[in-house]
Amino acid sequence: MTAILQVRDLVAGYEPGLDIVRGCSIRADTQEIVVILGPNGAGKSSLIKAIAGLVPVTGGQVLLDGQDITATPAHLMVRRGLAFVPQTDNIFPLLTVEENLRVAGGLPPRPESAPRIDPMFALFPDLARQRRLPAGSLSGGQRQMLAVARALIVHPRVLMLDEPSAGLSPKFVEMVFARLAEIRRSGLTIVLVEQNAKAALSIGDRAYVLVEGRAAHEGPARSLWDDPVIAELYLGQRRAS
Amino acid sequence: MNLQFLADGLITGSLIGLGAIGVTLTYSILRFSNFAHGDLMAWGAYAALTLLGLISALVGSVAPIGVLSFGWPLILAAGLSMALVGGMALVLDWLLFARLRAKGQAIIVVMASFGASMALRSLLEFIFTSKPAYFSRAIQMAMPVGLGIRVTPDQIVLLLVTLALVVAMHLFMERSQTGREMRAYSQNPALARVVGIDVARIVRATWMIGGGLACAAGVMVGILVQIRPLMGLDMLLPMFAAAILGGIGSIPGAVLAGLIIGLSESAAVQLVGAEWRAGVAFAILMGVLLIRPTGLFGVAER
Repeated sequence: MTAILQVRDLVAGYEPGLDIVRGCSIRADTQEIVVILGPNGAGKSSLIKAIAGLVPVTGGQVLLDGQDITATPAHLMVRRGLAFVPQTDNIFPLLTVEENLRVAGGLPPRPESAPRIDPMFALFPDLARQRRLPAGSLSGGQRQMLAVARALIVHPRVLMLDEPSAGLSPKFVEMVFARLAEIRRSGLTIVLVEQNAKAALSIGDRAYVLVEGRAAHEGPARSLWDDPVIAELYLGQRRAS
Repeated sequence: MNLQFLADGLITGSLIGLGAIGVTLTYSILRFSNFAHGDLMAWGAYAALTLLGLISALVGSVAPIGVLSFGWPLILAAGLSMALVGGMALVLDWLLFARLRAKGQAIIVVMASFGASMALRSLLEFIFTSKPAYFSRAIQMAMPVGLGIRVTPDQIVLLLVTLALVVAMHLFMERSQTGREMRAYSQNPALARVVGIDVARIVRATWMIGGGLACAAGVMVGILVQIRPLMGLDMLLPMFAAAILGGIGSIPGAVLAGLIIGLSESAAVQLVGAEWRAGVAFAILMGVLLIRPTGLFGVAER
């Protein structure tokens, strides 16, 4: 296994002197689904936003396939092969579904972009039916699908998602995660930040538990779920019977 | 009632609408009200006047096209001026607005645009004096077109030019990649960066387009009325009223609202007197802000 994404001792925060990520190290191997868990305020969101170039980094390193991409401007990350799906407001509501896919950076202009767009509609048939409608008319689950499709269309090597299950009904959560598991098989590495530990660990290979801006625990997703101490202490919920 | 006001209102209104496109784009993409926008118009008119003088000095006098008051030198001068004013808007942004925008307080940028407006205007008065100037001294006869309405050939042609510019602009925003990116950026700047849109490019495109269209409107006002350093300032309130009535960010909205304001202004001249003309845009602006702040085609801020 080779690490496609390697984060070493990352320090990051919105304001100087108020670091939220405090020397965090994680890695993700090729075709792996890595889950990042942790209590509220542990810095999970900030960690992946810092990796994506959206939170100022003051220390440490981010390597993508051996290349240093630390603090690359956010809009260039996509071209480097790192796609990020934010938790909320992750679509452009007034653009049509298809336009939402077309604005993805690094996409070649028409007509060469058609072979990139069509597979997305094949992957998410719901979106195909509504391709000419404003994205704002989509349901919560469909919006999440659209955001994922837009991230995938640029053929990233690593896909990072911030709580894709937030605000979705259990049925949709199941659907989103099933799709993610499917997408991984195409050779993609996925880094997933989640509150919904059960759903995330069920598709994850490996997981980290973040505490106070650091990776406090690491292990195979299955064993983390089975560890009662970690479940109670850090996942904020009792182990399901 | 004399129906002449319809023709006058349509022409003034289309020029207001053309200028308002720049206002609405700056407002929705760069997120500030650019009070210097009118002065870009005036600079455009004077740039065209200067270039016209240069071209005439090089090639001698050129006969006007058909029944129009101007020939190809003015068309060439106007085209070059549009690029120049677009470039000038870029320089202004680089010198002033970009630095202040980075500090994140919109009100400071707005105040800076007031300052820029005064400086730009005074500079014009300094260079060209405040005496009105004209592209041409030729007098055009207005032709009767029925219903007691008379229009000059210049007015008809410039109305068509405005229409063409508006349609081109609409297609650009709807169909081109840059247009799509500009719309995406205006909806959610943070997400635009995440999906890989180059923000600097969007900002440049916005200024180039806004400056270019302001220049076109300025040249047309210069052809139809006259060129004065204050011409942009006089258009500022109607342009803002049109941008807000149309709904911030909406190009068809800005143009339609420009026509509404132009027609209301010229109707007011006839119905209540010319001294009330300037008050019309103000009344419409207040009315929209009180009753429907999102305008005709606007979308409420999330």
